Amino acid sequence: MFLQFLFISSAVLTVSCALGVLMVKNIMHSCVFLLGSLMGIAGLYATLGADFVAITQIMVYVGGVVILMLFAVMLTGGNDFVSRAQNLLGLPASMGNKWTYAIGLLVGVVFLLTNIQLIRGLTKALPVKTITNEFPSTVTQIGHLLVKDHVLAFEMSSVLLLGALVGAAIIARPRKQN
Amino acid sequence: MIARKNIVAILLGIELILNAAALNFVAYSRYVTNNLDGHIFSLFIIVIAAAEAAVGLAIVIRFFQIKETIHIDEATQLRN
Repeated sequence: MFLQFLFISSAVLTVSCALGVLMVKNIMHSCVFLLGSLMGIAGLYATLGADFVAITQIMVYVGGVVILMLFAVMLTGGNDFVSRAQNLLGLPASMGNKWTYAIGLLVGVVFLLTNIQLIRGLTKALPVKTITNEFPSTVTQIGHLLVKDHVLAFEMSSVLLLGALVGAAIIARPRKQN
Repeated sequence: MIARKNIVAILLGIELILNAAALNFVAYSRYVTNNLDGHIFSLFIIVIAAAEAAVGLAIVIRFFQIKETIHIDEATQLRN
């Protein structure tokens, strides 16, 4: 029952926010819709019993990638976001309307339920292969797999991240004044 | 309506596609293979997507410094 509710709310949030990413004209709103979609996917991970992947999804994507996207939009946007219209609450129209507030409420609900599901899984100890509503924590097994079977890919991804971040810093550095 | 000409919007679409692939890996890992390899794979997908976002947005910012726009049709410096 709880899992079904979590799945339905996460799926609705994911699909509707993904459509919002594609349909909305304002690129800043697209980024915020992407945040909702990624949060819904984290809820779907929690329904599938992948607690570590769900937490990584929230920390890396929602906390990192979307913020990076928002900074890039703000650095490259120019005057596209200036709007003088106001909605019912006296806020600018770019602050959202009742649909975006509803989606924000759904994001909050999914985040809360995801956390409840993950914490419930941490307190239970069940065999992995039984399909029940409570899942055991996968963190220990994923840690063992990462440093035993997949250690080469793990190290390569660390080198990849280092190279990508150094390359990004070099590419985006300010132009020298000639 | 779906086709976007903004480079950042294209990067957002790439993030969505990568997430769809990672979600498929985790779902198959739960209902088909019953081990954790799909989780590992989706973790690496998340790592690669983060690296891709960092480099892509750096390129976008550099492109904006040069061209003063982020419209994809303006990226014609490598043509011909």
